[in-house]
Amino acid sequence: MVRRRIISDLMAQHTDKIADASIDLWEQMATQIILIVGEGGFNSLYARSLFLTRSTFPWLPNGSVPAQANQRFSELKISFEEQPPLQANKANSQLLITFTDILASLIGEHLTIRILRSAWGNDALDRFGKEFKNE
Amino acid sequence: MSKKVIIRRLKTGVPGLDNLLGGGLPELSFNLIAGTPGSGKTTLAQQIMFSQANLDNRALFFTVLGEPALKMLRYQQQFPFFDINKVNDSIRFVNLAADLLEGDFDRVLSRIAEEVKDYAPSLVFVDSFRSVVQSANQKEQGAAELQRFIQQLVMQMTSWQATTFLIGEYLMSESDSSPVFTVADSILWLSQNLHRNSMIRKMQVVKMRGQSQSPGLHTFRISDQGIQVFPRAIIEQGTTVESATKVATGEERVPMGIPGLDEMLGGGLPVRYSLLVVGPSGSGKTILATEFLAEGVRRGEPGVIAAFEKSPNQLLGNKLSALIKAGQVGVINTRSLDLSIDETLHNLIEMINRMQAKRVVIDSLSGFELALAPEFSEDFRGSLYRMVAELTGMGVTILMTSELEDRYTDLRFSPFGSAFLADAIIVLRYIEIESQFKRVFSVVKVRGSQHSKDIRLFDVTDQGIIIGETLSEYSGIMSGRPTVSDGNQGGQTARGSNEHKWQ
Repeated sequence: MVRRRIISDLMAQHTDKIADASIDLWEQMATQIILIVGEGGFNSLYARSLFLTRSTFPWLPNGSVPAQANQRFSELKISFEEQPPLQANKANSQLLITFTDILASLIGEHLTIRILRSAWGNDALDRFGKEFKNE
Repeated sequence: MSKKVIIRRLKTGVPGLDNLLGGGLPELSFNLIAGTPGSGKTTLAQQIMFSQANLDNRALFFTVLGEPALKMLRYQQQFPFFDINKVNDSIRFVNLAADLLEGDFDRVLSRIAEEVKDYAPSLVFVDSFRSVVQSANQKEQGAAELQRFIQQLVMQMTSWQATTFLIGEYLMSESDSSPVFTVADSILWLSQNLHRNSMIRKMQVVKMRGQSQSPGLHTFRISDQGIQVFPRAIIEQGTTVESATKVATGEERVPMGIPGLDEMLGGGLPVRYSLLVVGPSGSGKTILATEFLAEGVRRGEPGVIAAFEKSPNQLLGNKLSALIKAGQVGVINTRSLDLSIDETLHNLIEMINRMQAKRVVIDSLSGFELALAPEFSEDFRGSLYRMVAELTGMGVTILMTSELEDRYTDLRFSPFGSAFLADAIIVLRYIEIESQFKRVFSVVKVRGSQHSKDIRLFDVTDQGIIIGETLSEYSGIMSGRPTVSDGNQGGQTARGSNEHKWQ
């Protein structure tokens, strides 16, 4: 599926400072999603995604500690920093994919992609997914 | 010389709604969409939003509490009007729950103002506003605060040149108490009316500042396509006067397609008349109606039949089916039991216009009454009156059939007391002669015209209806048990017991 490939490709372009890059992606996406569905909406999706991804990467935080707005991803960042870059990279890919999978199952692929466009910019998505140019 | 400000009207994009609003929604108005949960408020708001929104005319849709935004997006995108490409393009969804929960009105107001300033929309929606109000009631200075909040909101939205929509779950009883109702320029009230077992959706424009709207309750439907409104047919002054003075001028008459019948009607059925054909089941009403339509087609006049009894495959005779297949006769065939007069009328008018039909058949009034939702069938006469006036006002000639059980004691023409609505009436009866059932008919009335007073036999054959002779040697025909009369005028030879009311 194109969305998954885009996410993997987006992550693949980073070889160092994985933690920073990962959190940037999350912050950007969170801003957009919270705007539309509110904190509560985002938090539940995030917690669920962590729960599912932990089965493959058990060192990920469990998201149970309610974070304040500006501390939202601090736990996640720390967990990435403690891992070898490749692992962190794979984990974040998986986490993002899981999150967007859930979102897409709720509101559809089309709408999800639009939100990602707003979050990460048209260029980022177009570079990897030419099919979305006209959407 | 001062020029008045021109208030532009925005097309809502909801079929039938602009009609109701007297042309559209006034620009920069502050509108309230109210109703009970499930009445269609969010769907209506979004149908309007997606229809109006474009890059020069952006829309902000604020969600507060109530339906979770994720769910709303999931369900609303099922409608064809929900253009996903407009999301985050010309339409932005913003959730205000946090601002409401953590703060007071000022915070919500400033958040709304901030987003409006940032995005510069022409349309602003708040769904649901009720949740904002509810949190007010929980606070001490609640009511006063709310009043102030609304005033400021209106002021801000108007100065930012946005047309605003507040959506809220309200009960009718609350309309007195909430300041929102006073401040709003227009109030659209949606309701679901349960009557016996059927549910009818209705919309009322309770208030509309600055222009006249259609009064009363209007039915609407929510389908896969969204909302469609059927404005109540309101008879205009002109039409009623016209029908009162509608007299057959003898110039324009419509041939019926049955040899001999036109003469009996005084030369054919006058155009734009409504003819009621009454008789018991099986007496030939539908066949008569078919001939009427077939004759029209022969003369290049398309027809429309509203069939409330027989299903399409049963539509009597290959003749009618052939006409329908050839596209010369249109069929309105609804088997639902929650029909409204307005919707039926709307569908009929739409088909008549599309086909340029000149002849319309309603078969039958009895079936129609059954198909209507109980609350319409209870005022059947009134509804029928509106419908007939509206249709004849369009220039079509109508034939309506009505079932009347054969009663051999009295002479009634209509079970509803609606006979007065018809400009012309033909009555069909069974009679018993020499231990056989025979059919007779008579033209009882043709408004403003000479017509035959004969009671004649008729027969239904493969070639259609054949009108036979008058039964001049009988009397008491309409009683169902005619007797041979002797030479004396009005005399009667009794054979066995007989009752006669008609001589």
